[in-house]
Amino acid sequence: MNPITAASPQHGDTLTRARPLLGTLVEISVRGASTPALNTAIEQAFAAVQCIQALMSYHDPKSDVSRVNRSGTTGITVDPHTWFVLDTARAIAEASNGLFDISIAPELVREGYLPHHADLAPVDPAANWQHIELLPDHRVRFSHSLHIDLGGIAKGYAVDCAIRALQNAGIPAGRVNAGGDLRLFGEVAETIHVRHPGAATQLLPLCQLRDGAVATSAPYYSQRLHPDRVVTPLINPTTRQPCTDTRSVSVLANHCMLADALSKVVFADPDQAIAVLDQFGAHAVMIDADSNLPAHCRVRLSDSTGWHDALSEAAA
Amino acid sequence: MQHPPVWLIAPALAAFVAAPAYAVQYLNIEQAQKQFFPQAESFALSPLALTSEQKAFVEKVAGVRMRYTRQPIWKALANGKQVGWVVQDEVFGKHEFITYAVALDMAGTVMGVEILEYRETHGREVRNANWRAQFHGKQHGAPLQLDNDIQNISGATLSCKHISEGVRRILALHETALK
Repeated sequence: MNPITAASPQHGDTLTRARPLLGTLVEISVRGASTPALNTAIEQAFAAVQCIQALMSYHDPKSDVSRVNRSGTTGITVDPHTWFVLDTARAIAEASNGLFDISIAPELVREGYLPHHADLAPVDPAANWQHIELLPDHRVRFSHSLHIDLGGIAKGYAVDCAIRALQNAGIPAGRVNAGGDLRLFGEVAETIHVRHPGAATQLLPLCQLRDGAVATSAPYYSQRLHPDRVVTPLINPTTRQPCTDTRSVSVLANHCMLADALSKVVFADPDQAIAVLDQFGAHAVMIDADSNLPAHCRVRLSDSTGWHDALSEAAA
Repeated sequence: MQHPPVWLIAPALAAFVAAPAYAVQYLNIEQAQKQFFPQAESFALSPLALTSEQKAFVEKVAGVRMRYTRQPIWKALANGKQVGWVVQDEVFGKHEFITYAVALDMAGTVMGVEILEYRETHGREVRNANWRAQFHGKQHGAPLQLDNDIQNISGATLSCKHISEGVRRILALHETALK
């Protein structure tokens, strides 16, 4: 057996901690300050993540998301953080013609990824993101009965908030990784790895990143095998069915919230996503497993003109 | 983004390399104890051996299987008085092995959860008790080999479902054996 190597977070002046939050492991790493300062900054960053979790969890009946879902067509005032995420979700839904849609909570409940809340009113099957009204003074109401889930965007936002907490604490360099939604800052570029979509413990160096975010969506750990089909939590808002491609999508953007949400747009429709990525200044890579050659993958990179096969370029 | 990203995949994309199994040590148990209870001057090891009745209680209340009847537990002591508990636990999935620590106050409320170590592997080693056992004791300051190349993985880790189940099990354990 190969020796197991470990990246020791106590290396040099770097401090790294991980806690179970947001339904995944959230890892925060900081460097370039005294140990007490790094410890304080990490605590503040975890507190920021916990704050976003408390506001935007579908599971927690006290969260803004649960309150909005219960309030339905009556309307309710939410926290400015929640409002900001809802506003961004609307902008991405608009730009993508609904390829990003936070009203897919009923489908996620149906597929077993979210809990059933008995106290919610039945949804209107025709309702979608367009029926979420964002009113002045952080008020939100639904014009048609629907249920929202911020699972496709709030994790990225929590990462952004954690990064802001680290920067506000005066830390010069750091990284926050919430189960694949990753953002880093500082002077030194770092290598970002992605997982093989068909063999998730194999890693591929993806890019160098100095200051920015990467979010990856892939069904490798979340898919479930049902007797008659495979389900994933990646719901295509147009068909309202799970995407089941053995594909991994990574989006690079300045903010992790954008990277997180845009990865769902690419998953739903790669071709339509090109213009949306461009509008938000983001870049994407799609990795498809090759069932004939398990170690090989088809890799495509986006630019403003479309998708380009990295493999054919390399072969040429 | 202002500039196009610096892609690394063009020449290397033909095949994924079987990277060495990924592992991180975040904290050892002593560091976790001090972080949970900075006011404590000592931590007294009081390992727990559950009776079969207690084990059955935990499994019923927590709704999860209790793999072990022994659990490493410490009492946090400040001014000679116990102020809380630190429980060390481990969970494993298909490819991952995670050790973590939970702090409880005297009423049995969770004060914090810290991941101590995260390890993943390609193979089925993680299902093998001997493979997992080789990491026991590593918490006590044994230096681990560094691999700083792989720190930034964009791509899901396992869900923390196993850890949530583990915390539920520890709360039931407190209920039946630590009160």
